[in-house]
Amino acid sequence: MNARSTIRKRPSEAGIALLISIFILLLISVVAIALIVASGTETSLAGNYRSATGVYYASLAGLEEARERVLPKDPNSFKNTAPANFLHSPGNTLAIGEVRYVLNPGPTENIANILAAYPDTEYDNEFGGGALAGVVAAGNRMTTASVWNRNPLNSLPVPGPLYKWVRINGITEQSLNLDVFPHDLVIDPKLVYYDGTNLNDTGSGSQVLEITSLAVLPNGSQKLLQYLAAPNPLNLPNFPAAISLAGNSANTLPANSLSYSGPNSASFNVDGADSFHNPFGSCTATATVYTGIGYTNTSDTSQANIKCCQVTGHPNNYLGTGGVKPNVLPVTMPPTLQTPDDYNKLVQAITQNADVILTPGSSTTPAPYTAYGSDLTAATAGIANTNPMTVVINGDLDLNAWNHTGYGLLLVTGNLNYDPDATWEGIVLVIGKGTFTGTKGGAGRFDGATLVAQTVDPGTGAPLASLGPASITFGAGMGGVGFYYSSCWIKNSLPTASYKILSFREISQ
Amino acid sequence: MTRATSKQQQQGFTLIELLTALGIFLVICGAAFTLLGSSQQRYQTESQVLTSFQEARLGLDQIVRDVNDAGFPPPTFTDGNPTHFASSPFAWSSGSGYAVTRCQIGTAGGGTCTTATDSSPGDFDLIIETNPNPQDPSCAPNCKVQWIRYQLQGTTLMRAMVDKGPTGTDPDVATSPNLAPFVQNVVNNSTAAQIAQYQLTHPGMFPGGNPMPIFSYTCDTPSAPQPQPPPCPGAGADNSPANIRDVMITLIVSAPTPDATTGVPRIVQLSGRGRRVNPNQ
Repeated sequence: MNARSTIRKRPSEAGIALLISIFILLLISVVAIALIVASGTETSLAGNYRSATGVYYASLAGLEEARERVLPKDPNSFKNTAPANFLHSPGNTLAIGEVRYVLNPGPTENIANILAAYPDTEYDNEFGGGALAGVVAAGNRMTTASVWNRNPLNSLPVPGPLYKWVRINGITEQSLNLDVFPHDLVIDPKLVYYDGTNLNDTGSGSQVLEITSLAVLPNGSQKLLQYLAAPNPLNLPNFPAAISLAGNSANTLPANSLSYSGPNSASFNVDGADSFHNPFGSCTATATVYTGIGYTNTSDTSQANIKCCQVTGHPNNYLGTGGVKPNVLPVTMPPTLQTPDDYNKLVQAITQNADVILTPGSSTTPAPYTAYGSDLTAATAGIANTNPMTVVINGDLDLNAWNHTGYGLLLVTGNLNYDPDATWEGIVLVIGKGTFTGTKGGAGRFDGATLVAQTVDPGTGAPLASLGPASITFGAGMGGVGFYYSSCWIKNSLPTASYKILSFREISQ
Repeated sequence: MTRATSKQQQQGFTLIELLTALGIFLVICGAAFTLLGSSQQRYQTESQVLTSFQEARLGLDQIVRDVNDAGFPPPTFTDGNPTHFASSPFAWSSGSGYAVTRCQIGTAGGGTCTTATDSSPGDFDLIIETNPNPQDPSCAPNCKVQWIRYQLQGTTLMRAMVDKGPTGTDPDVATSPNLAPFVQNVVNNSTAAQIAQYQLTHPGMFPGGNPMPIFSYTCDTPSAPQPQPPPCPGAGADNSPANIRDVMITLIVSAPTPDATTGVPRIVQLSGRGRRVNPNQ
């Protein structure tokens, strides 16, 4: 009876709707999944491209930050923001095995762990297995924070570029895997330098720095980029003489003539023969003999103004090209230095790359608005042959009682009053008022080149349409040893405008 | 009595019911299979488009990487052997004066870089000089620079990679025999009729109805620096392969077969930019 009752209930289980529904649902699901897969692939491809581009520029940002901060004049320069000796002073190199890192952890990362989290394997590829461990063990690895981890950028609510670290180090032929000049077919471990034309391992020019940057995105994309860079000096014109007086040769009026009057001293010389007084480093003087006193105005009374008096009285103290004594000869300034505007551009370029800018008339230099040796001493602390400075005085400079030696480029836009207690190794430019005076005694000297040009009216300061009567007026009783042409000191004093990119490459990982 | 009553309750569906159910079932199945077939066609077309897109994207990334590294190592690395440094980030043929006389880059076959047999750098042809793997221990002490060439032949973008030859070697002659297929179905240099057909469904592509250059260039202007590098053909005396700064890359690829449902060609355009960072040479 129970079985029969069960059979009677079966009509309520008949029907095919459920099967059809499941079948249709299955079909629709297959189609939907296919479409989802297709669009997912497309999204993934677009995402890959975005990652590749993003990580490339993140790494490039690291390279550019380091390239800027190696410049002493950069507001965030390593010189001012990194630990002492992060980069050595100019003239000193990063030795092999001295490795510097700029660390750029993200908001959730610890700066102390960044090198462990993102290890630098490339260094060992270049310098040999275990090289980096040796650097660390020797305590020659130094680190500093990126600008994105320093005030004021670290307080920004947006994250900076996603590079993790930037390495700065010197290179060798071995690390480059390249035989550079002098092409001895030996890959040796000596430091590589750049002389303005070629890489070399002879120590000529400036050290080449290798800058390597690793960027890692949250999705794991990585990029390792590398620069080789070297200091790029400001391109100054060639100096034709130990002392160059630049004027307007087209204006033949006597009032526009250049003038020079020297001291009545047998020990005071102006010598155009290239020399290197107090030599250091690898530079050697050339055999070139330049002009002693060069002037541009050939049709007015400039020659008579210069070649007279104490100069003609001491012909053997004014030496230079051709053996002419006294060596006072016309010279031609480069085409880029012909007008006051040309000189103003030069002054502007130097000022933009100056280490020190003093503007007399400020609170430290009250009226009569002259900068003094004491101001110069305070402003140029640390100046040395290995740390030459570009010093710009926007006005008069009185070196009276400044018993020091300066190194680098000195630009004075007002009057330069010289006290021969002082010595300057490098370039001296008196451009503006174009007056150079001196009366005191002493045993100082100038090595390099000196240029005097008048671009403004000395009385009113009004700009001149053409170059005026520049003058050097030394009292007959002035001391000093004189002016000596030195290509080495000129080269050493050129301001560094930037770190030039010598090469760029992407490192396969 | 009870058994007879049970038999009447199990008599099943009527013929009308069966036919009705079968009809509904067939209609639903027909619709479902029609949808499935359409989806399969769509999927097939999209797969082909994606395959072409992916191939082109990988190709584009490789070109960008090569352009970024162009000119490494520069002549400052010289050891006196020109096969060990890049004479110029981008090479041109000896027929156009390589490497002494710099040719003028043109478009649409213009410029002096284009000769009867060669057009690099040109709209569809580019030879890069670089050393992509300077740390390779197998070639120490001085690994050779490579000439990496991209040239469009028909609808195939070819790629060649050969060692840079000594002075006097023609980059065009050296690379031509080594060209191998790199990206398929590149339609940048299509005929006017094909372009017209493409523009029916992609009116934004092929501006002016002209072939779309794969490579276009900007040049640094060392003689009169400008804020942004201008296009090379407008750079005057600075128009030369040695001054190329940016290489804009545009790849238009099509699926191997037309859209299965509509019958029209399916094409995709990809763009990228490589920037040469190594110094001017």
